[in-house]
Amino acid sequence: MKHLPKHIRPRWRYLAVEIEAAPDAAIDRGAFQRALWYAAGNLLGDAGSADADLTVFGFEYADGVGEAIVRTRREETAAARAALACIDSVDDQPIGLVVRGISGTVRACEESYLRDRSPDLTEESVAFADDQRPAIRRDDVAELSLPEASVAATELDFH
Amino acid sequence: MFEAVAAYPDGDSTVSRQARTAADYGYDGLVVRTRDADFDATAISDRYGIEVVGGIEVDAADPESAAGAVGNYRPECSVLLVRGGTNALNRYAVETDRIDVLTRPMAGDGDFNHVLARAAKTHRVHVEFDFGPVLRASGGPRVQALQGLRKLRELVEQYDAPFVVSVTADAHRQLRAPRELRAVGKQIGFTPDQITAGLEAWGAIVARNRERADERFIEPGVRRGRDEP
Repeated sequence: MKHLPKHIRPRWRYLAVEIEAAPDAAIDRGAFQRALWYAAGNLLGDAGSADADLTVFGFEYADGVGEAIVRTRREETAAARAALACIDSVDDQPIGLVVRGISGTVRACEESYLRDRSPDLTEESVAFADDQRPAIRRDDVAELSLPEASVAATELDFH
Repeated sequence: MFEAVAAYPDGDSTVSRQARTAADYGYDGLVVRTRDADFDATAISDRYGIEVVGGIEVDAADPESAAGAVGNYRPECSVLLVRGGTNALNRYAVETDRIDVLTRPMAGDGDFNHVLARAAKTHRVHVEFDFGPVLRASGGPRVQALQGLRKLRELVEQYDAPFVVSVTADAHRQLRAPRELRAVGKQIGFTPDQITAGLEAWGAIVARNRERADERFIEPGVRRGRDEP
């Protein structure tokens, strides 16, 4: 269909979202979009969810860190932020996320708020709670494998 | 603004990992609810620029055992929390001056009413708004949690009882930034100012207890003077 004249096109806002998950969690764009729609549907209802019109625009994720750009209508940024906060897991893998900022264009959003990728992961053994444990490490944070579960720690805990 | 979290061994993240994320999200401080958590507050604050305060969350089955724990733990922690969830525990907590915060009052069979709200104000016990189920539960349990929050909010507003806000995170991935919490709060009927006040109240509790632990402090309103020996 012919696109709308400029003055009646919807005004969009783009939210820069930073995602953090376990290093072995696999998350893709489709799964994140589903989780977002599900969260918005549950929190805002069908009507609010349709108003917010949340779409995942850019999505980049690897090895436990990622970034997404989420588009919403200009008047609905508060609702969009609330819906994003209610995503606690994607495909049963817990994720942490935070909105770094909001822009009027995708490009401004990327340039102002999204950082470069973090350094690569290293696997090593660290001393934690009087024992050597296998760990997957990035910068100063590490995911340790303990017999019962995995524990997220920083290098301040290694001794 | 402060947040209160459970940490390893009760949670999946250590205190320093929680503190790193909380500092990144813009919090000024972190209250640790876990008694057995092992951490070095100075090292964490030097590294990540966030104040870490040791607290204890008493999780007892009934008021009698809670009272024992309160007596034992009060001297060793800066913030003492008691987990509610039954009517007897809620009532005990709001009527005890030595307790700082009643957590999760509406969880399980717990309920709240005007008598408890008045008592909380008199005894200056903060009532916690637990945003955990709002962010992480779904379906029926979430609806019940929202109903509980609404009832609690109406009582707290009416009787001007002190309150705190927390997402009761036990892993760093469950933390959310204050701005996100204000947005969620707005959707479920809180004002942004209420959420901010609830997060700042943790800091006020820490400051109040520090002042009480000061050696010049005798009782509320009475301090050792400058010229005393």
